[in-house]
Amino acid sequence: MNTLSVDHRDPLFPRGPGLGLRAVALLAICGALIYFDFRTPKLEGVRQTLSWALSPVLWVAALPQAFGDASDYLTSRDQLAEENHQLRDRQLQLEAKLQKFEALEAENRRIRELLASSKNLNESVLIAEIIAANQDPYRHQITLNKGARDRVYRGQALLDATGVMGQIVQVNPTTAVALLITDPDHGIPVEINRTGLQTIALGVGDGQALRLPFLPGNADIRQGDLLVSSALGGRFPAGYPVAQVYEIKHNPGEHFAEALAYPTAKLNQGRQALLVWSEDHSNDDESLVTLPDATAAPAPVPAPAVVPTKDANPAASAAPTAPVRKP
Amino acid sequence: MRRVPHLAFWISLFVALFLQLVMLPDSIANVRPLWIPLVLAFWALQEPRVPVLLASFLFGIMLDVLFDSVLGQHALACVLSTYIVIKLRGLFILFPLWQSTVALLPVWVIYAFLMFWIDGVAKHQADVWLRWVPVASTTMFWPLVYVVLESHLRRRHRSQE
Repeated sequence: MNTLSVDHRDPLFPRGPGLGLRAVALLAICGALIYFDFRTPKLEGVRQTLSWALSPVLWVAALPQAFGDASDYLTSRDQLAEENHQLRDRQLQLEAKLQKFEALEAENRRIRELLASSKNLNESVLIAEIIAANQDPYRHQITLNKGARDRVYRGQALLDATGVMGQIVQVNPTTAVALLITDPDHGIPVEINRTGLQTIALGVGDGQALRLPFLPGNADIRQGDLLVSSALGGRFPAGYPVAQVYEIKHNPGEHFAEALAYPTAKLNQGRQALLVWSEDHSNDDESLVTLPDATAAPAPVPAPAVVPTKDANPAASAAPTAPVRKP
Repeated sequence: MRRVPHLAFWISLFVALFLQLVMLPDSIANVRPLWIPLVLAFWALQEPRVPVLLASFLFGIMLDVLFDSVLGQHALACVLSTYIVIKLRGLFILFPLWQSTVALLPVWVIYAFLMFWIDGVAKHQADVWLRWVPVASTTMFWPLVYVVLESHLRRRHRSQE
């Protein structure tokens, strides 16, 4: 290591600002960036531009995996693989439709008692390929190959064949970044399928479990209970399975019981995910919305459970008094 | 006067960025060493004429964007750890390889602590203990990185003489 030669030494008369000054200046820039990025959304544009500029780096980093896939592809016959791919997509879509029935059954039972009108559960979906996963083990994020051009929007729910995966947090022109439900920054409103108890499931951050920290001490919750998404907050479509409870903790001296659950979605397996357009976003474009017949609907409709997000058309909350767009 | 190895400097940093991003199985993803600070520390020690402070800022920002952390988090940690290494260069340069391996340990600890601390300020709670594992793996990878880059530099110098 002690191979220091003469020309490695600092010059006798250094030009430009000194090392300490440069370091302090850069550290100050970093501090300002952290402050502004944390406090304001002003740097979002900068981040998007940089992330677009750095997409070749991500592409190169994904190459080793792509090579593995390519060799697999060459060994099988092209047509067969193509057909297989299409069938798998189809199956994923069908499975996603099917998984709602368990939740619907329980919901139907409850709603029958309440004699409330059932809501329309018709959502449109789009299959997206997962092209990258965030390699920071403490940030559970994935990148999808669909973006603003496919009308993906911020806050959109993401599913796989077995449950809710997460939501979109950043939309680029051709890609989108989704935050998974296991991320410590993520919380999802859920209800216990058996009882209808509403609560919130937060990510633990170890990539495996969800935490339900706000359960009343006497809450009716058991091991094995299925948690399904609830429409509270308006982000997620209601009724998709989210997680299964595996442990319930009653901490003595605490006001709340805590439960732990494993997500039902296969978060770190598989290549495809489903993007869901729920009703109030499906009319962002110029397609016609089918509103319920004004004469058949009861006169005062209670406030819809789904809170429309900021860019949603108010007509989408389906109040019969709202103006109907003509075709 | 030997020429400044600018090309090798930037290429080595991009290789480090690649290693930082390439997909690993979940079981060993936590143990991934801090490649960018490793390579930055090497250049800060061995070749003070390359713009290592500026590079640590740029690559820190790149890491922030790629990992989607608060903008400036990795940059701050990179710049600070590089600055410490440059400052203590006169001391480190006298150590044999195994001693410098141990002597650089506090630098990685500071880096990991800054990550942990800024995440805490930004309300991004993460597993507390696993966060310090890269300190150990980075320490173990230092001799490897040092030997590989040093042999490249030496070969270059020989060909120039």
